[in-house]
Amino acid sequence: MEFNKTWQDMLEQLKTWARVNSPWAIHFNSGSCNGCDIEILATLTPRYDMERFGLKLQGSPRHADVLICTGPVTRQARDRLIRIYEQMPDPKFVIAVGSCALSGGAFQGCYNILGGIDQVLPVDVYVPGCPPRPEAIIDGVVKLLEQLKAGYQPAARRSGVLRPVPVPVTDAG
Amino acid sequence: MSTLNALITLVVFPGGLAILLTGMIYEWVDRKLVARLQNRMGPRWYQPLADTVKLLAKEEVLPNGVHAQMFYALPVIALAGALTATLYVPVFGLRPAYSFNGDLIVTVYLLSVLTLCMGLAGANTLNRYALIGATRTLTQLFSYEAPFLLALLGPALVAGSWQIGEIADYAERHWLILTQPVGFLVAIIGLMGKLELPPFDAPEAETEIVAGALTEYSGRGLALFRLGKGVELVIGLTLVAAFYLGGVANPLLFFAKTLLLLAGMAAMQTLLTRLRIDQTVGLWWRYGALLVLAQYLAVIVWQGVMA
Ligand code: SF4
Repeated sequence: MEFNKTWQDMLEQLKTWARVNSPWAIHFNSGSCNGCDIEILATLTPRYDMERFGLKLQGSPRHADVLICTGPVTRQARDRLIRIYEQMPDPKFVIAVGSCALSGGAFQGCYNILGGIDQVLPVDVYVPGCPPRPEAIIDGVVKLLEQLKAGYQPAARRSGVLRPVPVPVTDAG
Repeated sequence: MSTLNALITLVVFPGGLAILLTGMIYEWVDRKLVARLQNRMGPRWYQPLADTVKLLAKEEVLPNGVHAQMFYALPVIALAGALTATLYVPVFGLRPAYSFNGDLIVTVYLLSVLTLCMGLAGANTLNRYALIGATRTLTQLFSYEAPFLLALLGPALVAGSWQIGEIADYAERHWLILTQPVGFLVAIIGLMGKLELPPFDAPEAETEIVAGALTEYSGRGLALFRLGKGVELVIGLTLVAAFYLGGVANPLLFFAKTLLLLAGMAAMQTLLTRLRIDQTVGLWWRYGALLVLAQYLAVIVWQGVMA
């Protein structure tokens, strides 16, 4: 019994260690002005080199652990955003990058905007800035990794599954 | 006792764990070299291990519309094929664990099992990207396979044997890279095609078709395919080093030789851009296969003259 417990603990520790050291990301733009996307790409270039932390940009959501979202959620992008999120295997994390992804930012109040990413998905890390510098994005990722090391559970798991989001009915005209 | 020996050969060394770990080390060396050539820091030394453990611990999503048994079995078969091939090659410059006449052909085809499984895995899903990736994977298989096999048969021809051990013995006395430089080049480039490294990464071009044939694979399946690739990298490098760079030697020297080959491959990966799939096929059949055949002719004529 005792032995079993330590064995389980060790396995858990190994899993956490692997998770912290190998966050594969996928990047999705749900309506950003492209400013944030360019900063994310800059973060992946040799100058900032995210592979130091084991972060690799993946093409397929099935391979990714971290969803890096930019921009406010437009009505059109909402379903796609949710679908990409649901295609990712558990455990998965969401990083919202840019003021728009936090609250709607410059686009707040537009008829075609639902607001920040957290209106649609459970977000783990918020990176403010318009657009945030690559250093800020790296800081956000590292914060997430440190939290993971401390036994943090993905936001999705804490809040149950996806929160059903009522689409606010506003007069488009 | 012999059962125990066989088990150790299969599970620990050189068949199982040892080769998986070696594959990870080679993968790290490759990634690190590419990163340094691109003026980056690159991954840490335990990166491939962390990737593998993480993928194994992740959820494996079974997509809609796939044949479930096949979806789960294909990665296992792919890895099993690659691991079986290790038993016949001189890994770490040691004698192959098993050997029989003609094992060269068996090994080369066992290595193709991985590619074949990837093609099937892509064709098994409803995902269009995976389907395109599968088509490209199989097209590429048909283009590099023949030149690669021919390049490995060149040493077999001069050694007068189709047994890997004997060819390696012969190669120890003759550095075949000097007498068959074309074969060496085709073998090393064929290996890059086999592993779908740039410039032959059209089958998994993430800028066009998401992730190619493995788009729908997550967690365990992806981890097994990646491990298989690592094993294939080790076997390929071992074969080329044993045939062209002076046969099996002491393990340290042999390791250095394979690392040298790997460095060359990393340089080519950084230097060259991705070829379209039709360019890949054209390259192999128009130049690769013909050059190797010409070299064959030269070798045969030379042997005739000497005899
Ligand atoms: S935060 Fe600024 S840069 Fe980013 S999407 Fe919004 S407006 Fe554009």
